[in-house]
This record gives sequence, structure tokens and C-alpha cells, in this order.
Amino acid sequence: MADPILEGRGLTKRFGGLIAVDGVDIAIERGEICGLIGPNGAGKSTLFGLISGVMRPTAGTVTFNGRSITGRSAHDICVAGVAVTHQIVRPFRDMSVVDNVMVGAFFGHRPRPRGRGGARAAAMEELEVCGLADRAESPARSLTLGGHKRLEIARALATRPEVLLLDEVLAGLNPTETDRTLDLVRTVRERGTTIVMVEHNLRAVRGVCSRIVVLVEGRKIVEGDPDTVLTDERVVSAYLGTAAHA
Amino acid sequence: MARNGAFAAIAIAALVAVPFVAPHAEYALDVLFLIFLYGAMATAWNLVGGFAGQVSFGHAAFLGIGAYATAIMTQNGISLWISVPVSALLAGAYSLVIGIPAFRLRGPYFSIATIGIGEATRLIARNWSSLTGGVSGLTLSSAPPLLLQYFAALALLVAAVGLAAWIRASRFGYALAAVRQDTDAAETLGVATTVAKTQALFLSACILGVAGSVYALHYLFVSPDSVFGFSTSIALVIMPIIGGLGTVTGPLIGAVIYTFIREQLAATLANVDLLAFGVLLIAIVVFEPRGILGIADRIRRMRKPPAVTVPDG
Amino acid sequence: MSYGLALIYGVLKIINLANAGFLMLGAYVTWWLFTAYHVDPLLAPLVIIPVFFLIGVGLERTLVRRVLGSEPIISLLLLFGVWLVLQNLAYVIWTGDTRSIENSFIESTVKLGGLQLSIPRLYVFAMGVLSLIALQLFLTRTYLGRAIRATAQDRDAARLVGVDVDRVMGIAFGIGIALAGFGGSLLSLLFSFTPDFGRVLSLKSFCIVVLGGLDSIVGVAFGSVALAIAEAFGVRYMPASMQDLISFVVLVVVLVALPKGIVGTLRSLRRG
Repeated sequence: MADPILEGRGLTKRFGGLIAVDGVDIAIERGEICGLIGPNGAGKSTLFGLISGVMRPTAGTVTFNGRSITGRSAHDICVAGVAVTHQIVRPFRDMSVVDNVMVGAFFGHRPRPRGRGGARAAAMEELEVCGLADRAESPARSLTLGGHKRLEIARALATRPEVLLLDEVLAGLNPTETDRTLDLVRTVRERGTTIVMVEHNLRAVRGVCSRIVVLVEGRKIVEGDPDTVLTDERVVSAYLGTAAHA
Repeated sequence: MARNGAFAAIAIAALVAVPFVAPHAEYALDVLFLIFLYGAMATAWNLVGGFAGQVSFGHAAFLGIGAYATAIMTQNGISLWISVPVSALLAGAYSLVIGIPAFRLRGPYFSIATIGIGEATRLIARNWSSLTGGVSGLTLSSAPPLLLQYFAALALLVAAVGLAAWIRASRFGYALAAVRQDTDAAETLGVATTVAKTQALFLSACILGVAGSVYALHYLFVSPDSVFGFSTSIALVIMPIIGGLGTVTGPLIGAVIYTFIREQLAATLANVDLLAFGVLLIAIVVFEPRGILGIADRIRRMRKPPAVTVPDG
Repeated sequence: MSYGLALIYGVLKIINLANAGFLMLGAYVTWWLFTAYHVDPLLAPLVIIPVFFLIGVGLERTLVRRVLGSEPIISLLLLFGVWLVLQNLAYVIWTGDTRSIENSFIESTVKLGGLQLSIPRLYVFAMGVLSLIALQLFLTRTYLGRAIRATAQDRDAARLVGVDVDRVMGIAFGIGIALAGFGGSLLSLLFSFTPDFGRVLSLKSFCIVVLGGLDSIVGVAFGSVALAIAEAFGVRYMPASMQDLISFVVLVVVLVALPKGIVGTLRSLRRG
């Protein structure tokens, strides 16, 4: 991997005495779909938080397109071109679906659409892609869980990201919705957006990701292509281990 | 949108005509003047409290700064053409000084800190006697003609409501609405939330600064306990909530109701008006947080049953 | 007072502005019992604590519960409305005249190694410390206390493990209001007051909470001491009329310099 679009080096995050992420090196190649997996509490969401600027790393650096974005604010990083969705959906509940997406279109990465009309057109385009166009004028709070997840994606896409971080967008979806969302992820990738996805659904990860990184207890234990990684002894025991404890 | 514009134009034309049609109805003109002034102030508060969801209990500080600045400059013979804009900018500058520490606090913490800001500003005004005349305040000698005051207050109201309407439909308005509903989510969509909040506070403070000028020139007297008083800050919170928090016309409706209730109750026991507003506030928040506009919306829906009937509920 | 604030906030995730009103009411009830029925001001809390507790529970049941699901500013505004009602009710009933309690106990002092100490001040301090300890024990040692803390941390998880969350929230709200009333009753021994009594005090209490950090009772105790020291020093350099500014200045300094509060900052320094 000669020229990663996004790179974290030695990323560490401590909460009080607890080390959530411990010296993780991660490099994301331009145009790939990279899966980030690991048992509950492995630090996946925290790692996303460190990259997207929601949290400041205790140690380590993040570079995006060769420039350091370490410790910059979340809105700065979004404008730079890294967008993130929330594991627990956070819609602007009292706004309509299209207004939610327009926030992303108005702000986010440059070049931005011109004026209210431009932002609306851009938002409608993303709603079309995410299959929410017919719900554009409904209040966001009226969506189903699957709808909320797609709204999260549409909103993040509207910021025109170069890298999109998806945090468990499949959790809680039924098989039909899961397939729809995976198709959506592939479509986004074909538009040239690099994707990193935290996911628990290993079958889905194997289907869509070209590469997988495994975190266990805040550390990266292995990375590589899906088939090799998912049969790796350490990965299997990490998953079976938590299953036995659960 | 076009209908709202036409309606606004007719309303403004009617209000402009009132003093010419009824030049001797001084009480009515006085009440209208108060409604304009309160309406502008409530609209200004609503930019921060309603649009951005940052409830401030210290907004009297900006009114007070505008009022004192105009009073002091007028005493020193400075023209209103200079003193009014300077008053606005001073109030705006003060909002930036305040905004930086206060916006480190989120939601309710911000609100409580603003109680402190209001109180601290009042205490400073009381103690800085060489500038402010201390507790006894400042007195001006001559007021501009009532007609001029009337039109100045109307112009301020139109400007404030116009600004609010423009903001609501703009990119900035989207930023504020996003901040109000989920600040963290807004951040991750590229909204510089602290900047947006600070901008809203600045605009709000400038409008209140001008309102302070109008106040000083109308009453010809400013004192720490009148313009900087907590009851002024409370009035600014109450009006938009009565009318409809975060809406364009809500604060104006609130100002009308507030002014009438106060005119009715102020003559009775002291503080009965605030007691009534407290009860009204609780009732609105519990039963219809969207205020009068929300109630109007409900009535409209009851009259116009939904076109599609759902069988068997 | 400030631990009342911390407790209510923790459990309900709302800042209770109504506390300022109940604090003031605690002072007035103490004064009223004393002047009208000659009840010793030291005994007034025996009436105030249970009555205010019930009022708090009732308030939570009838009003607060209805707005828990909506935007946080709604509950803030609701409690602000309650404060407004209490404050202006007090104006209507007792007028805006300054009141104070005067009896032999209030005037009494004791000599301790050359220092002339006011007995009511010592008494209030002791009661403050005692109730802080009692609250801490209640929250850590009893089932109900633990349930309150669990609910404060995660309402849904508490419900899952069988905590009667609705009941717990009502009780926690009641305790917070009872503590505010108790605090007001105690402070009426030291200060004269008006219906606006609660505002400056709740500001101080908020300052204490920001100083000490919201989550820990130790932090609250620590914040109280820090503010008391700052005020003691401030009095030497500021005119008396500016005294109430001190807590606010401290608040601004803390916010700008140490947004995590003093305890939080110490903690992160130690972990360095």
C-alpha cells in the first residue's frame, strides 16, 4: 500500500484507567471497502471517533491525503472529506428527511452546492441513491429503523466525503434491508468513495469488503483479505472466547 | 412564501397608516410602540433561544448596554446617527466576550451561566458609577417626537422579523436548526457549531443593542435595575415561548399577548403578572410546546379532517 | 443545595432551575413558622424535609414526567416556569421586603482559642457536612440509593435489571427538592432574604458543581470548599456590593481555563 488515503499511526485513547484503543496502526487504501471487526468493546467505535474528530486521541496521529488531521474538530474533518455515520442513529427529529440531508449538503466537503436550491437538489440525489426519495418530505422521526440507518448514510454522503466511515449500519436490520444496504455500500464505492465499515455481521463483511482489520481489546491483532482473516486462529478464538463469556 | 410576503406588506402598510389615521390616540400608539419594541426584542432572543436552542436568561445585558451607550453618547451631544449603530456594535462586541466562555457549556449549563452573565453585568453597571451613574442611573432631557419613536420601533421590528425569516430559510438557518436538535450530529456533518451559535448570539445582541437605544430615548431614563434587571431577561424568554419557540412570527404574537396581559395586570398587585406568566409558561410547555402557533395548527387540523380515512384505525 | 442540584441532574438528566425557588421557599417557611407559631428555626427542617419531599414527588408525577421524552430545553423551561411561579407567589404572599430570623441562637458566638466563631455558622456547616455524608451513605449503601445511581447512569439498563425507574425518578426528584428546602432553611439562619433569594445561591451552587465536576459527591464537597476560599479572599479585594460577582468570576475562569472542572483536571494531570 504505497499511498494510503487515510492513515492512523499509534492511535491510543484512554478513558480514565481504561485503554479503549491501544497503539493502533491502520492504513486505508484509496477506493477500497475495508471492514473493521472485533468483539464488543474492542474499541472499533472509539477508533472511528478518533479518526472523525469526535474524540481527541491520547496519543498517535491521523493523516488524510498526506496531511495531518490529528486533534482537529469534527466539523473540520468532515469539511476535509471524512464523513462518519452514527451507530445509534441521530436524526434531527423535527426536520423533514430532505432537510436532514440538506444540512450535510450545505456544509461538508467542497465544492458545495450553490444556494438552497442547489443543496436541495444534491440532497434529493442522495435520497434517491439511498431509496428514501419518496419519504423526502416526511418528518425524520417517522422513519423505521432501516429508514433511519439509510438517512444516516444519505446525510453523510451529502457531505461529499472521500472517505466514509460506516458504524454498524446493518445492526438491527432484517435480511431484506441488510441486502439493500449492502447494495448501497457497493454503489457508493463505485462512485469512488473509500469506505471503512465497522460491522458485526461477518457474512456481510465477507461479501462486501476487500480487506478486513481485526481489533481485540483495543489492539489490532490481524489484517488481510477476508477469507484469510476470518479463518485465522486468533480471530476465531477471540470471537469464540467472547461467545463463551457472554 | 409569496402569500406570507403579501400579508407582511399589508400589515406593515396598515401599521404605518395608524398614526396618520388616528393621530390623537396616544394610548393606542404607545401600546403599539411597546409591542414593536418587545416584538423586536423577542425576535432577537429567539434567534439564539429558539433557532439555535440555546436558552439565555441573561439577554437583558445586551439591551442594557445599548440603552446605556445611547444615553451616555446622547448626554455628550453625539448624534443618533452615530450613537445608535455604535450601541448595536457595543452590544454585539459584548456578546462575543460572553459567548467564548459561555458556549463551552452545553444546553442547561449554558442557560444557568447566562443567569450569572446577566447578574454580573447588572452588578458592574451598579458599581461603575463614574460611567453609569450607579444605582440612580442616567436621565436624558429631551425625547424625539413620539411619531419618530413609533416609526423607529416599527422599522426595528420589521428588520428583526425580516432577518429571522431570511435566516430560517438560509444555510445559516439550517446550521442553527441542526445545532438545536443535535449539536454533535451537526458537528459531524461539517457544521462549525460554536461559530454558528456565536454568530446567532452576535446578531441577537446587535438587535437588542438598537432596542436599548429606542428604550433609552423613549423612557429618557436608564438604571441598572430597569434595563439590566432579571425581569427583562425573563420577559425575553416568555414571549417567544408563548407565541411559538423557533418560529418567525411566534415571538411577535408572544409580544402582543405579553404586552396586553402586562397592561391589564400591572395595575393590580405587583408581580401578579409574572406569576401569571409562570403558570402560562408551565401550561404551554406541558401541553403544547409549540405555543400559540402550535395550538392554531391543531385547530386548523381539527377543522380540516384528513383526506384519506384510515379504516378501523 | 448544590448536592440537591447534582442529584436531580444526575438522575433525571435535567438541570433543576426550580431548586432556586424551593430553596427560597425553605427559608420563608422557616421564617413563617418562627414568626407566626414561634417554632424554633432549628426544628423547621423536621416539617420542611418531608413536606418538600412530597411536593417534589408530586411535581415529578404531574409535570416533569410529561416532558422527559422531549428536547432537553423543554424540561429546562418547565422548571424555569415552576421557579417563576414560586418566586412570584412569594412576592404576592410575603411582599419583596427583606426578611430575617432573629433570636438568641442567631446572635450567639463561641470563643475557640482566641477566635470568635458564630455558632449558627458552625451549625450550618456541620449540618451541611452531615447531610452530605448521609446522602453519600444513602447512595452507596442502600438498595434505593444504588437504584438511583443506576438510573442516573443509564435509565434503560436500570429498567432491564428490574429497577422501578418511574418510582426511583420520583423519589430522586423529591430528595432533591427536600434538600433544596433544607438548604434554604439552614441558610435563613445566616442571611436575610427576599423572594429573589434563590437566584444568586443557585448560581453559586452551579458554580460549585462546575468546579467539582457533576458526577461525584466528593467533587461537590471539594467545589464548595474551593468557592468558599475564593469568596473569603475576594472579600478583601472587592467592594462588598460586588461580592456576589466572585462566584461568577470563578465560574468564568474555570470554564475558560479548566473545562473539565478541578477534580477532572487533577485526575487527567495525575494520569498525565
